[in-house]
Amino acid sequence: MTEVVSENSEVTVLLVDDNPQNLKVLYETLKDKGYRLLIANEGQKALDLAHRHQPEVILLDIMMPDMDGYEVCKRLKAEPSTTDCAVVFLSALDDLQAKVKGFSLGGADYISKPFQSLEVIARVKTHARVIRLERELQARNRELQGDQARILNSISEGIYGLDENGVIEFANPAAAQIMGCPVDELIGRNFFETHFATCQEGQNGLPGHTTCSQGVAENRRNIRMLRMDGSGFPAQYRSTPKLDQGELHGAVVVFDDITAELQSEAALEEARALVQEQRDQLAHASRLTTMGEMAAGFAHEVNQPLTAITNYARVSKRMMAKEEPDLGLLGETLDKIEAQSHRASEIIRRIRRFMKKPATGKEVISVPTLLEDTRQFAEVDMRNNDGGIELSVPDNLPEVTADPIQVQQVALNLIRNALEATRSADVSIPVQVSAELLGSSCVRVQVRDHGIGLSDDAEDKLFLPFYTTKDEGMGIGLATCRSLIQAQGGDIGFERPEGGGACFYFTLPVAGSSGAPCAPEQSSGIEEG
Amino acid sequence: MTDIQQTVYVVEDDEAVRDSLELLLKSDGKPVQTFENATSFLKEYSDKMAGCIVLDIRMPGMDGMELQKKLNDKHSILPIIFVTGHGDVPMAVDAMKEGAVDFIQKPYREEALLEKIEAALAQDLEQRKTLDEKQEIIRRVKSLTPREHEIMDRMIAGQANKVIAIELEISQRTVEIHRSRVMHKMGTHSLAHLVRMVLSVKDLIDAR
Repeated sequence: MTEVVSENSEVTVLLVDDNPQNLKVLYETLKDKGYRLLIANEGQKALDLAHRHQPEVILLDIMMPDMDGYEVCKRLKAEPSTTDCAVVFLSALDDLQAKVKGFSLGGADYISKPFQSLEVIARVKTHARVIRLERELQARNRELQGDQARILNSISEGIYGLDENGVIEFANPAAAQIMGCPVDELIGRNFFETHFATCQEGQNGLPGHTTCSQGVAENRRNIRMLRMDGSGFPAQYRSTPKLDQGELHGAVVVFDDITAELQSEAALEEARALVQEQRDQLAHASRLTTMGEMAAGFAHEVNQPLTAITNYARVSKRMMAKEEPDLGLLGETLDKIEAQSHRASEIIRRIRRFMKKPATGKEVISVPTLLEDTRQFAEVDMRNNDGGIELSVPDNLPEVTADPIQVQQVALNLIRNALEATRSADVSIPVQVSAELLGSSCVRVQVRDHGIGLSDDAEDKLFLPFYTTKDEGMGIGLATCRSLIQAQGGDIGFERPEGGGACFYFTLPVAGSSGAPCAPEQSSGIEEG
Repeated sequence: MTDIQQTVYVVEDDEAVRDSLELLLKSDGKPVQTFENATSFLKEYSDKMAGCIVLDIRMPGMDGMELQKKLNDKHSILPIIFVTGHGDVPMAVDAMKEGAVDFIQKPYREEALLEKIEAALAQDLEQRKTLDEKQEIIRRVKSLTPREHEIMDRMIAGQANKVIAIELEISQRTVEIHRSRVMHKMGTHSLAHLVRMVLSVKDLIDAR
């Protein structure tokens, strides 16, 4: 047996014939055609060479002693490493039976003896090309499959391929890791029975079931799945139907253990709750401070009706002491007493409501009512010679969703600041409080004064905690205001109005509007202006 | 001296307090006039007003303190009782320094208020009597001729008739005649009384 290597041989051709003369002819025909040529003169040698070199094309004589061409072909096809090579039978036999048998054993073609050299060259060339392409294709396929496998293996989420009954056909290593079981033990198990405690009660409604049975994609979070040892874990999963030309072949389920995620979410939620609680507490403390500052005003405010009540009571007593008391007049006076005690209790009610510890939470509120209430509140704090507070609100203003006490706190804070600025400037132009609809989902409340105004420097730092322009201020007011308004989904800001003074505004979402309709970018106006 | 009709002037911005106080004082038999703010009182004010003012110290617009100053500028002698709230004591002290008669804190007892009003009215009456007397003196002083006035000034300064006669280059007899006219017009027989009378109105005369 000889091995002859042609130059630039990429394609290997094995020539098998027991007749040396025939081998010589074939060799002569094919040499210098760019093939690597191998030669064998009996079946067993041909198999060994084929196994070692995996030739693309084998020219195989049928009639050979010991092992004939048919047997060689059969064995070549049975061996994975040689199954793809093109076997071209050579025989003097020119009958149909022989050809059919050759093809049925996996032969690719047939060349009759005596050989026509052009025919041999053409057929070898054709089959060599076909096999070459096939092998490249297979190599590419293997590459792709390798990539896919690597992707599936490296993905941290578990992936199952299920058939339409929920039997696991495929599992990636992550699935095995999550479930605590090797991949090959997972395969063949029923997904529903293995991973869900409630499976005995029926598979309907179990995750992925409608995908397997009806081809409906699912996506759920915080589902309880069981590991192989029976322990449970919270999972998130997506299942998508496996479809082949419109036909349902089960589902692909991608799942993940979200224990850690849920824990960090819970921690985040807890932190958020804490922030909210602290904001509420700060807001409450700030309300108490405000009330403290306004105490003298409230005392005066409550003393007015009390004084009137005392006076009316005395008058009534005197009327009754008369010989013929004027009962009509007495009744009128008693009515007045009643009205005044209502007035006093109303003031106290307002104070108590404002001081209430936890804010009441968001509700649908009427801005005009809230502002009027706040105006009366703020007037308590007005000093002599103050110009007062002017309120202008359109009748058709929609209601907003917000915490009424916290919004009142903000409005009161802004109005009191405005009164103070007005007072400091020694002017008596009223503080103007107005409200308007901004777009369709946002109400803007504005407090404008003609007071001393703000320096450019102050403007930037206004809403920062502990920044204050007041001698006795803590710098908490506006920072708290901003935090409160942002908690309502609104925005708060300052504008430098023409004609001096200051203008503060805040926005609140209209009741029923969705999203964050009053987010800062809507009303910043810096880019536009 | 004429009989004086005293009125309690209530200046109070709170309608209920104003109304109840008016009823209260009326039931006590006192003439009352109410004003809802300092400006409207100031508009009505005249020096013919007698009685006292019950004045809320804390009012929008012109407050009680400011009204007091304006009235002082007008030489009002109406006694003022300031009505103050809980936290207004420092203001009340200032008001007292400016000559207020008294102050009372809301809510007050009727007795306390009426007592203070009575005291204020009495003070007003007293002041007014004094003022009437002074005005009588001024009226008499004004009835003097310039020569008589000059002679009176010298009498008060303690100059003897002889000195006056020499300095004014008139006879001593003429001085005596003027002197008896001055005493007659001023309604007194005693030089000491004359001196007292003229000194009591000195500031009023100087003020003119």
